[in-house]
Amino acid sequence: MAKPAPLNATARRPRRIIGVLVAAVALVLAACTGPGMSPTAPTEPAASASQPGAAAKTLVIGATAEPATLDPTATDAAAGTQALLYNVFETLVRIDPEGRLAPLLAQAWDVSEDRLTYTFRLNTAARFSDGTPVDADAVAANIERIQQGTTAPKLKTAMSVVASTEVVDPATINITLTRPSVTWLYDMAGAAGIVMNPAGFATANSETAGSGPLTLDRWLPGDSIVLQKNSNYWGTPARFDEVTFRYFKDPNAMNASMLSGQLDIISNLQAPETLAQFSDTSRFTVIEGSTDGEVTLSINNGAASEGVTPGTGHEALADVRVRRAITMAIDRQALLDTVWFGKGTLIGSMTVPTDVWYEDLTGTHPYNPDEARRLLAEAGHPQLTLRLQPAALPYASKAAQFVASQLAAVGITAQVEELQFPARWVDTVLQKADYDLSIVAHVEPRDVVTFANPGYYWRYDNPAVQEAVARADAGTLTEYEAEMRTAARLIAEDAAAVWLFALPNLVVTKTGITGVPANANSSLAFDVTTIAKA
Amino acid sequence: MKRAELWIGLVLVAGVVGLALVSFVWTPFNPTGVGSAPRLLPPGWPHVLGTDHMGIDTFSRLLVGARSALYVGIIAVGIAALVGVPLGILAAWLPRWGAEGMMRAVDVAYAFPALLLAILLAGVFGASTETAMVAIGIATIPAFIRVTRAGALAVLASDYVLAARASGTPVPAIAVRHVLPNIANLVGVQASVSFAMAILAEAALSYLGLGTPPTVPSWGRMLGDAQTYLFSHPGQAVWPGLAIAGAVLGFNLVGDGLRDFLDPKLQEVS
Repeated sequence: MAKPAPLNATARRPRRIIGVLVAAVALVLAACTGPGMSPTAPTEPAASASQPGAAAKTLVIGATAEPATLDPTATDAAAGTQALLYNVFETLVRIDPEGRLAPLLAQAWDVSEDRLTYTFRLNTAARFSDGTPVDADAVAANIERIQQGTTAPKLKTAMSVVASTEVVDPATINITLTRPSVTWLYDMAGAAGIVMNPAGFATANSETAGSGPLTLDRWLPGDSIVLQKNSNYWGTPARFDEVTFRYFKDPNAMNASMLSGQLDIISNLQAPETLAQFSDTSRFTVIEGSTDGEVTLSINNGAASEGVTPGTGHEALADVRVRRAITMAIDRQALLDTVWFGKGTLIGSMTVPTDVWYEDLTGTHPYNPDEARRLLAEAGHPQLTLRLQPAALPYASKAAQFVASQLAAVGITAQVEELQFPARWVDTVLQKADYDLSIVAHVEPRDVVTFANPGYYWRYDNPAVQEAVARADAGTLTEYEAEMRTAARLIAEDAAAVWLFALPNLVVTKTGITGVPANANSSLAFDVTTIAKA
Repeated sequence: MKRAELWIGLVLVAGVVGLALVSFVWTPFNPTGVGSAPRLLPPGWPHVLGTDHMGIDTFSRLLVGARSALYVGIIAVGIAALVGVPLGILAAWLPRWGAEGMMRAVDVAYAFPALLLAILLAGVFGASTETAMVAIGIATIPAFIRVTRAGALAVLASDYVLAARASGTPVPAIAVRHVLPNIANLVGVQASVSFAMAILAEAALSYLGLGTPPTVPSWGRMLGDAQTYLFSHPGQAVWPGLAIAGAVLGFNLVGDGLRDFLDPKLQEVS
């Protein structure tokens, strides 16, 4: 920011005018001059792939969230998991592209009658990158590390149900839980279940010691993570000699890199309105899948249960008729078209199509402004003024503008105030529940369970939902799916929130690249093991 | 030449004020009517400047956006002048050591960027038009103190002030009757220059999502929204960009022109 010059500087007047012009034009240009933008279009597509007899097969992936540490178990952030899980680190069980559990380091697993003890039989061929076998002792050491070491709180919570581990023989381990929990098995397929080489525990922040098909070559903070082929890999060897994750803060810069041929894949395009740049099908393939990110118009349901600090939401929102009216007032298809270019999936509850228990609930409270007005009148609130505090993020801000305009049509005045994300949003909305309506995307897998926690910022207290979630966790996999479906349906009928849409997984690849999973599944990993390049 | 500058500035300022005034009585379309037209239309008829990413008429938003710009400018400059001018006169009146101490404090405040202060306030009180106005206003106070003190020192040294003091006129009366009228031109010029800075700051804050909320049309926010469409629909950024540049240039030219116009010495030279 330039400062106004003191007045006695008469002689410098022309320079000041130029200065102001420069400042004004700079603001206009600020938008155009993202870092690393290349104005030139490539003359030859895919130069790197067309080199005859290229010595090394490489894959370069553009990504947005850069990890702060190379240890995916150290923070709750998903960035480390994206690049390293299944590529460098492996787990006992994994989540396959359909969202189901599949074997990885464990060839098979059994559950005892009381569903408290899991017996995993490890693949005896499995080796860490330094050649030592992946044995039951290593698995036990990793579970203990998550429980006792300095690891992320979320992973500690996931692992807190483990009562004891018992090494039967080098290839067999019994894990006993304090209570039956299906959620735990799903968690074991993510960052919590990573089996690291115990020899590498001390240096986990800066080096990787996994058993996956790739190992870390070099990490350039602020720029990239370069992985190389693990020549000692115990399973199907990696198809690439080198895999690079390049990180971009600005989506325009990432798009420009892709257009100039520097990237093979954009792992998830953050600005759907820029998809048109990749419409040349001879050069690019666009894959539209789904993610676990539910963009949610959260409603303060106003429950104040024991041990929960009461939030300060509008009391009208405790009335289910008002919440249903809010749901019915919003044309979610039009919102998706306007806010996210029509890319994404309409959902009717806190569940996405990649959840195995997914059920289409979009018709539960369909768009009907007349019925919304009638419900509001019946509830005694023909006119209502509510605070709408979205996270200050592009999708949330646009959605808030749209929602405010539609709520106005049924007599609800929404006072929009953006909250800086994450710090201020987390403090005001997530922690203090000092809000009426808010908008943010919930990206955690299986997060329908948050509606079973009356202390969560929904402030939603429904014993039926809590029992369904408890039964799901304690049941078999089949019962788990049935009960999760019940919970999702209950909250949809209760209009405990408005699920606006599920964020799409927009992947752009160069032509000739195959095997990229369409959906970002709940493991949060960007798994390169299935990818091939012609 | 000097007069031409002033006139161009006045025309631009009148244009901005005109846009804002017209917006109170008439806009071609609803400036907050999301989805009332196809999105991202190019300029044409009936949407003279096209529509934005939400399907809202760009011209209507531009009209109402002028209000945000002027509103922030008036309040921010008002805060700065109401606090800065009395403090500046006080600084001129204080004995040497007191004035020195005060002016060093002003230097420190002057070095603090307005944008940083606004981000700080937005973090504490939440992003809103009011927060932005207060932040810009506070950040502009030091400029008014400096200008006022410089002018007041000269006035206080004059014979008529000496005469007034000798005849026992109380200090506040001297400040109001003798000092203020004689520094009015200086303050006026500073105000118009600060006004331009305030408009630019509001645009920058809204562009960053720290100023006016998304439902209120603002030029800076329009520019921020246009950023994602720079490659697909470059025209989106042109209109709010031109509006900001025009308003800032206008107020600066008026400031410069006024100074020349009000300064008899400069007129003799030219």
